[in-house]
Amino acid sequence: MTTALAFLLLLLFTPLAPLALAQIHQSQYHTDEQFHEELVVRPLAGDHVNTYFQFTTRWHYGNRNNLYHTQLTPRVIAEILQTYDVKELHIGLTQGLWRYETWGYPIVEATGGAELWAWFSSPNLTSEDVDKQWMRLANVFSGVLCASLNFVDNTNSIAPKHIFRPQFMHLGNQSQQFVRYSTLPREIVCTENLTPWKKLLPCGSASGLATLLNSGYVHNTKYHSLGVKVRTLCDSSDPDNCIVELTQTANLVYDLKLLEQSSTDFSLRRLFGMGLNGYCELATSSNIYVQRNEQGERFQLVPQPQHELTSTVGGYTVLYGVYDIQQLFAGPGARLFNIAWVGAKGNSNREQTLPPPLYAHRYLLGNGQKRGRIATEVTNTHYEPLPVVLMELVPWYVHAYLHTLRLRSKPQHLHECSAKMLKFQLLHYAPGKQRELPTHLEIGFVLPAQSSALITIEVDYLLLKWLEYPPDANHGHYIGAAVISSQLPIGRNYTALPLEGHLFKDSFNASRATYLLTLRTEALIVSLPTPDFSMPYNVICLACTVVALAFGPIHSVATKLIIVERQTTMPRNLLRKLFHKLTNRAGKRSTDVVGDQPLKRKPDGEPEAKVEEVKQQPDQAESNQSCDKQASM
Amino acid sequence: MGLLSDPSLSTHNKLVDNLAKHMRKVCYAFYTAGVIWFMCLALPEFNHGTYLSENALSPGLVYPEIRIDANRLAVQLLEELQRERKDHQSTTPHAWILAKFKEFGLETHTHNYTLRYPFGGGKEFHGKNVYGILRAPRIGSTEGIVFSAPYRAPSSVHVDITSSVPLLLAFADFARRKNYWAKDLIFLVTEQEQLGMQAWLEAYHEGDRDPDSTNSYLLAGNLPARAGSLQAALNIEVQDFEIDYIDVKIEGLNGKLPNLDMFNLVQRIMAREGVTSGYKQTPRKKRRSSLSNYEQNLRQILAMLSTQSSGVPNGNHGLFHRYRIDALTISAAKRVTNSNVKANPSSAAVPLLKAIEGIARSLNNLLERFHQSFFFYVIVHNDRYISIGDYMPALVALAACSVIKAYLTWSTLEATQKSDDANPKTETASGLESIKLSLPYGSVLIYLAAALFIGYMGNVLPLHQYILELPVSAAPLTASILIALNVLGFGLPFVVVLPPGALELLHISLLLIYGCALIVIGLLNFSLGFFVAVLTTPMVIALNTKSSANSTLRSLTRVWTLLLNPLVVIYIIVLIMSFYQFPELTLQQLLLRAATAAMDASTFALIDSVIYGNWLYFAICTVFLPLWIICWTLALAKRRDSAIPQAKLKIN
Repeated sequence: MTTALAFLLLLLFTPLAPLALAQIHQSQYHTDEQFHEELVVRPLAGDHVNTYFQFTTRWHYGNRNNLYHTQLTPRVIAEILQTYDVKELHIGLTQGLWRYETWGYPIVEATGGAELWAWFSSPNLTSEDVDKQWMRLANVFSGVLCASLNFVDNTNSIAPKHIFRPQFMHLGNQSQQFVRYSTLPREIVCTENLTPWKKLLPCGSASGLATLLNSGYVHNTKYHSLGVKVRTLCDSSDPDNCIVELTQTANLVYDLKLLEQSSTDFSLRRLFGMGLNGYCELATSSNIYVQRNEQGERFQLVPQPQHELTSTVGGYTVLYGVYDIQQLFAGPGARLFNIAWVGAKGNSNREQTLPPPLYAHRYLLGNGQKRGRIATEVTNTHYEPLPVVLMELVPWYVHAYLHTLRLRSKPQHLHECSAKMLKFQLLHYAPGKQRELPTHLEIGFVLPAQSSALITIEVDYLLLKWLEYPPDANHGHYIGAAVISSQLPIGRNYTALPLEGHLFKDSFNASRATYLLTLRTEALIVSLPTPDFSMPYNVICLACTVVALAFGPIHSVATKLIIVERQTTMPRNLLRKLFHKLTNRAGKRSTDVVGDQPLKRKPDGEPEAKVEEVKQQPDQAESNQSCDKQASM
Repeated sequence: MGLLSDPSLSTHNKLVDNLAKHMRKVCYAFYTAGVIWFMCLALPEFNHGTYLSENALSPGLVYPEIRIDANRLAVQLLEELQRERKDHQSTTPHAWILAKFKEFGLETHTHNYTLRYPFGGGKEFHGKNVYGILRAPRIGSTEGIVFSAPYRAPSSVHVDITSSVPLLLAFADFARRKNYWAKDLIFLVTEQEQLGMQAWLEAYHEGDRDPDSTNSYLLAGNLPARAGSLQAALNIEVQDFEIDYIDVKIEGLNGKLPNLDMFNLVQRIMAREGVTSGYKQTPRKKRRSSLSNYEQNLRQILAMLSTQSSGVPNGNHGLFHRYRIDALTISAAKRVTNSNVKANPSSAAVPLLKAIEGIARSLNNLLERFHQSFFFYVIVHNDRYISIGDYMPALVALAACSVIKAYLTWSTLEATQKSDDANPKTETASGLESIKLSLPYGSVLIYLAAALFIGYMGNVLPLHQYILELPVSAAPLTASILIALNVLGFGLPFVVVLPPGALELLHISLLLIYGCALIVIGLLNFSLGFFVAVLTTPMVIALNTKSSANSTLRSLTRVWTLLLNPLVVIYIIVLIMSFYQFPELTLQQLLLRAATAAMDASTFALIDSVIYGNWLYFAICTVFLPLWIICWTLALAKRRDSAIPQAKLKIN
């Protein structure tokens, strides 16, 4: 129990170092704004190369009123800070899946499709206000990034309880903080998102590192993820002393085998289609960091980096070569700069890379369109137990049952589940509601060393209303990725930025006691029971309607007795008939005539028990010799 | 009119009376109509030309890019594999396959499984599948396509298909260098025929199953990596790179079929690459037979139905259907040496590789799972098919015989009762009703339950722990249990004599259950339902419980019923098959061989049902055997003395 508490505390309370605040105090009450551009190139295992762009705008705007006068920070960011009580915002637009087992950990985490989460904080803020602001915020960024974020609403958003921690500096007490999280796994990320994303940059795509992001090449990668992160840092004693940080990231993974020429070497030009034409004039710093050790050891760099630096994080050393672009382009004249990675020829020894300390997979089990099981497998390769928090967001069209939640452990490298159950240290469950709320599940447990945990929960697939099916209904419905969080004691494969830093270079030598890690798993596709929406389906719908309409009359015919009566008063002679009709009509106007002697067809001469009173109706009497009457038995 | 509530409306009106007089003629007319309808299906007017319904497939939209170097690689890999095979006489060279997958840059994994064979003292068999996943650049591992090749060790009794694995590897190497994949490609090499595939699929879809649950025979374990929901699968069985023709196998477990679009896709792509391909394709020599078009079509239909009816898949693809993954096998036959067309050996595999590439790219285009076109069809010719709407009337007509007979028997029930009685004139309608009400429903229900119980025992007994511990091998054990149950069923009507009126009621319930069973089985597996209907419906029509019937006719019916006992039918089928396979044997040898083969067949059916989920054995035991017991009871028509029913009637 004590360990559980300890780890909960670790996860919940973040030590936000006063480093950021120190900077605030240095330059009090005057606005200053800085822009940095960084590119990190890391060769990965299996002929992959990770290129990570980070564009950071940091604006010490001080007073809230200064937000009206933007310079480097895009106006839209300043405006949302004015309009909404948002303090921290993360948007990810991702295509592909980060493969932890071979690539290690990314610098910035993202899940496939669109992902959005934000922190709101303000005095007197209620949860209902936040829900409204959250949807408006999503709509704003739907326009800004040309993504379908406008589909974010309360049916697919949750308020995570344990897994996310604020990265902004809050003013007042903690209960005034609200977080909302949502994913749109079906979202397809393309050029139309890249262009508006680049427009948020001070130099746009005119100059600087952003010129490398050509859509033809960016989308030819195995994984590409665009990110926007906004956070505010305010002095807790002085609300007029604030910083806004806008970090735009582009994380790409190239597969060298997919590039046209040999897979042993590559260059900036081959990755991005062109060399670098300079730096953004508005930038304070423009650097390229190239990882030289591990997979980077295979390559010779041409030209050599200006200087090298080593970064030791958690007992794990990385060697970076640094190119300062502003220095390189110091002289006059236009030129293109290129870096080439030349691999040693003929070395095809592919040493198996060690998997990172913690990784996860998710899959759907069971067959049929009625029910299934969502299984998440978290593996710990470290020699110590690790605390793990897992968050599931199950959409409303899939019913999850809490009583079927099982947490089993098995030794690593053994692909059979044992019946050994793990204990939950933490369990938060908010059941879903059809068409209104998603199921929200968060569990925390301690994963023993060198083992993996299999978390399964049984789900039922719902039969939707026919208008709720999306186009291409048989493609299936998506269940978003699970988010897994943990504290790593070592820094192997760990490259994320520290909480108090804002540039990639802040992560150098940033050793801590623990390293907060967040992982995303695969998204899932479920095939819900789907009508075929084809001609036969329409025919069936129509036939059902016809049957429903016909049921009433057929039922009444089948259950009611039809009595045939003959109009005996009607004479046979034509003339008399006419006369009779005339008189009959005249008489009917005055009173309702009760038919005399209704002749009932008695089946098989059986004695009739009841004598019905049958009323004659005026319209039928004139034309028919006999008329059918219905009388209920 | 009061159709439902009018008590005075008699069920026996004139039309019914007249029909009842000619009941048998009407039923036989329906039977003939059904069979004739079925024969007509082979006529071109009754079937349709195939077409591609799913536009996303767009076969042949792209030029194949696979070149001769892939062929060179395949040839080289085959040579390597042949060398490996010398060291692995009865095992699979896993290490070599793994190394190749890794070399091509795929995410490679192995999958171990264990079979706990329940018979013969409980042996354990271990197996290992190897698979490599090509992670598609355009997707986050949410969808996948499987390309599988079975591996057969040199000691295998089946046809040598060593070339499949090199072909698969060559295609994997090609595919790895392309960036247009929008679905993960899984390249899977299985061993031990269908068992390996079943284990892999089970692990993929039921990976969290506890290994120590007592009722599982195949311990599939879990897979280390997956590729989302599988959309389609292609199984490749290639005898040699120099191919004569390609046989496309589609029949799956329990007679399920892949989507017709998938079959059409393969046909289109193969035609484009100039590969002779077809459903139940035979060598060229045989194809030039002088059969008329109609006869050819009918043969094709019957061939398809007979393959389908057993419910045993004719390739590894068949096991995918259970998980709603459309799959088929392309089985390439080796070119015979004396053929006129001599291909260049250095480019022999190129058309096949191009075809596989074309199929893969079409499947890659799929936006949705296969859902258009047909899942229930009969292939008449490579480009002609019969849809379910066209072939079902044949079965419905056959099943209708029993339902019509049931109705007519029911409506003439009181008439027969009346004629038994002395004074029919004074009997009122309400009295007739009470005759119907006074029928011995309870004893008939008990009798039906007893028959069902005997049948159900056939499912349970052979797998019971006590029986499994007997020191007898599987085949005689299962066969003797089945024979014992049949004898029990045979003896049941001699032991239990039903009360008066029960025989008629039993007859009606038999007809109704039989009709329902035919329709249900026909919907699940048309061929099985249809064959059973064709065989048994005349006998069911001929059944007569009236004591006044002709005695020679009656004994004929009894012999007929005996011949249609499930065990006898199986034996006769096996006998005919072995007669065609071993024409050199004498009659006595043949009979003996057929007996052992039939014993084996029943055991295999049982194993199929517990491991693969084939329900043929279950259907025979739980549906056909009880029905036969009732038929036999009715054919015997043993009744109590007629003095008792009259006394009973008077009490009523």
